[in-house]
Amino acid sequence: MGHPISFDDIKQGDEIPGLHKGPLTTAHLMRWSSAIENWHKIHYDLPFATGHDKLPSLLVNGSFKQQFIMQLLKDWVGPQGWVWKVNFQFRAMNIVGESLDVWGRVTGLRRMADYGLVDLELGIRNAEGKESTPGTATVALPYRDGPAVPYPFVAPSA
Amino acid sequence: MALLTDEVRGYIGIEGPRVAACDIIEAGAVRRYAQAIMDRDEAYHCGRPGVANGRPIAPPLYPVFMFRTPFDAIDYLTERASDPDFDGAVTGVSNGLPELPLHGLALLNGGAEVECFRHPQHGDTIFQQARYADITERMSKSGPMLLVVVDTVYSIESGEPIMRYRKTLIRR
Repeated sequence: MGHPISFDDIKQGDEIPGLHKGPLTTAHLMRWSSAIENWHKIHYDLPFATGHDKLPSLLVNGSFKQQFIMQLLKDWVGPQGWVWKVNFQFRAMNIVGESLDVWGRVTGLRRMADYGLVDLELGIRNAEGKESTPGTATVALPYRDGPAVPYPFVAPSA
Repeated sequence: MALLTDEVRGYIGIEGPRVAACDIIEAGAVRRYAQAIMDRDEAYHCGRPGVANGRPIAPPLYPVFMFRTPFDAIDYLTERASDPDFDGAVTGVSNGLPELPLHGLALLNGGAEVECFRHPQHGDTIFQQARYADITERMSKSGPMLLVVVDTVYSIESGEPIMRYRKTLIRR
């Protein structure tokens, strides 16, 4: 049995394939706001964002950016892995017009009975390299000759 | 002036009811969502072998954004159209919890901790149950702010959890 990616293929310090999004225009922000029916004006009403809320411009939704983090991890682990835990903080704003690069790096490996756990640090940088969304994640990957990660996923006991 | 009054502090620990989203997970809404996040994963429209028994799924965080304005709800966009302080945020803020008495304070998204257990699938009815886990006050460069932590469990009708989502809202 083989998997597109297995725990045995990974080592500490590995960079996982990145994800690029952007430039993110007002149309992208409006499409996202419409998809989730979020009418918060700081994402589409420039006079409100800058005048009332004293923001530098229209903000890229935090709800939008977290989708990119999940996509990065989901695409990396593939259908036989599992994205278990993800933690992210919106430390800096991203504004309309920016392009974003989502990244991840392996920080730890743990062997469990039936699969392996991979710890990562991750984030989102703009074109100037400024980090806005630092975080961490733990994903489960199958062993090279083992079964897929069990589904539904049951959190391992500590 | 302190933002964390005794009245606000009294909300810590309050748990809301387990409530269902007003719509099931439906193909058209999943398509619009997947197109908006620019994720062309075929599992979102026709399913993929090895993923949730081949049934079409929704993106991992989809349940978090399913709790929208039902048909019989007040239309706040119209009711408050002439209010210059109305920020447009009408849903998805407190996950069925009573609103905090913080009138006029701006709302920003501080981040979240997510724990996933199963895929949301087309046809699922999603339930949420939320709790004010913590409310603290911090001083920022622009003045005092509140960090409001809301812990929400999303589940399917049988009660099996899909995910736990613990978000931090910034009010300032």
